[in-house]
Amino acid sequence: MLYSPYDWNESLQHRSEYVDLRLRSGSPVAGVSYDEGVLLLTIRGSQRKIFEVYDRLMFSALGNQADLESVRIAAIDVAHQEGFSRSPDDVTIQRIVGFAISPLVKRAFADAFSTPLVIRALFAEVGRHPDRDAFFTLNYDGEFAALTGSAAVAGTLAAEQAMMEHLQWDANARPSLHGAIRAALWAWAAGRLMASEPERDAPPSGSDLEAVLSRELKAGALEAAVLERNTSRESKFRLLSSAELDPVVAQLL
Amino acid sequence: MVSKNSPGPIHSPHTGDFMRMLSDAGVQLPFAQGSPSPAQRPSAEAPSEMPQAHGTTVIAVKYHGGVLNVGDRRATSAMAIMYDRADKVLALDDHTLIAIAGSYATAMQVVRYLRHSFRYYARTQLQEMSLDGKVNEVARAIAGNLAAAMQGVGGFLPVLSAWDSESGEGRIFFYDAMGARFESAEYGAAGSGSERIRGAFDYIIRTKRPFTKMTLEEALTECLVLLDIASDLDAATGGGYKVAPVARAVTADGILDIPEPRIRHMIREMGLVNGHAV
Repeated sequence: MLYSPYDWNESLQHRSEYVDLRLRSGSPVAGVSYDEGVLLLTIRGSQRKIFEVYDRLMFSALGNQADLESVRIAAIDVAHQEGFSRSPDDVTIQRIVGFAISPLVKRAFADAFSTPLVIRALFAEVGRHPDRDAFFTLNYDGEFAALTGSAAVAGTLAAEQAMMEHLQWDANARPSLHGAIRAALWAWAAGRLMASEPERDAPPSGSDLEAVLSRELKAGALEAAVLERNTSRESKFRLLSSAELDPVVAQLL
Repeated sequence: MVSKNSPGPIHSPHTGDFMRMLSDAGVQLPFAQGSPSPAQRPSAEAPSEMPQAHGTTVIAVKYHGGVLNVGDRRATSAMAIMYDRADKVLALDDHTLIAIAGSYATAMQVVRYLRHSFRYYARTQLQEMSLDGKVNEVARAIAGNLAAAMQGVGGFLPVLSAWDSESGEGRIFFYDAMGARFESAEYGAAGSGSERIRGAFDYIIRTKRPFTKMTLEEALTECLVLLDIASDLDAATGGGYKVAPVARAVTADGILDIPEPRIRHMIREMGLVNGHAV
């Protein structure tokens, strides 16, 4: 079979379209650095969506469940291997996402004879100080970006931008956990709405978002997890209980 | 390992086994050497002693509400005191404590390994490793170290304390050099000093009351006295007059670090400052 540069280009385009189409209906994930740690929040179906990777590292994503698992396990493997043979302090978001996981994802995307990974992932790292909290987004083609303060992944680029508008704080100001959950919920609703209505050009109003939230909270389950900066527990990662989440939701709706 | 779990054809089922993941990735474990070779095995003609852990005293007792671990802080090499701030009671996760006796180097490697192993399992499998699984994992590490221990280097014997969330009680396990596991009803101790005070545990239980009926404060008091006696009778066990012993407890709510100032205060109150009860 003749394989021309044109075919190659077209193949990549087809793969992008294939993945983009499937990601569009995925549930967004919002990440916020708050005074006592970092938060990831989403509304999910039946499967858990936010996972601990290592002592200071957690992960969430939208996409195909099996692809999420592949990336999750690969990240956990690399982190534990490195943390054991060197030190837990050497397991950083930069090294795990940038050097270990991203090249793998890129390779899978470029391999024309396999199905591409359907995934858009958000990694979060808690620092010893809020300034050192970090987020990395990782796209299905291996492209990654580093963010501080807050981050979002959603079905489309416009949806992610809409989410980020709800996740802005003054430089050096950090919200409380309560404030972080609140903002993340609004951002989630904005991301969901924008991804499901690609033709929409007006930003969603408050009542639009309320309608999305109350509908989706009935259909799915709210899931939020934190990495706590200063905890006496051995594990910094913790899924938030409904006792912690319900009051915030009750205030919003 | 990365390539093994990378997207592609379905690989073998993931069991959350940290040791297997490391060996697949080509990472050498300093203590996992397998069974001793025939040359290392003691023969019938020249029976060599089974390796014994030495040079410390660590104590674990079940009190009302959890398991308390107390350890001295001296690390020795032959006749020399190498270090007087060794921490021999370490948390493996939120429900498990390990108290180590013997080769500090091996023990620290094993503790690092176990910490990763328990968490690796929990993080990949999305459920905590069972208590039985953890107890066996410790046995595997000890058995893997047998070859080195038989040659007289790197032997270590831990006491494992855990909160059993299934039965809602504290549990204590100890091991022999081959990795056999034993469960203790009320207390466990390891290290050279523990031999000297073995009978004292029973004396306290019979003449005062079982440790399991004591509060944390009462149990800690008894343990500090026991440790003081051990340091009087055993050169490799440090006393509490210079650097306070380390004390940690495992409870239903997780690991409880008893702060050094509080231990120091108790030692002063009890009159143990000069290494002798007065």
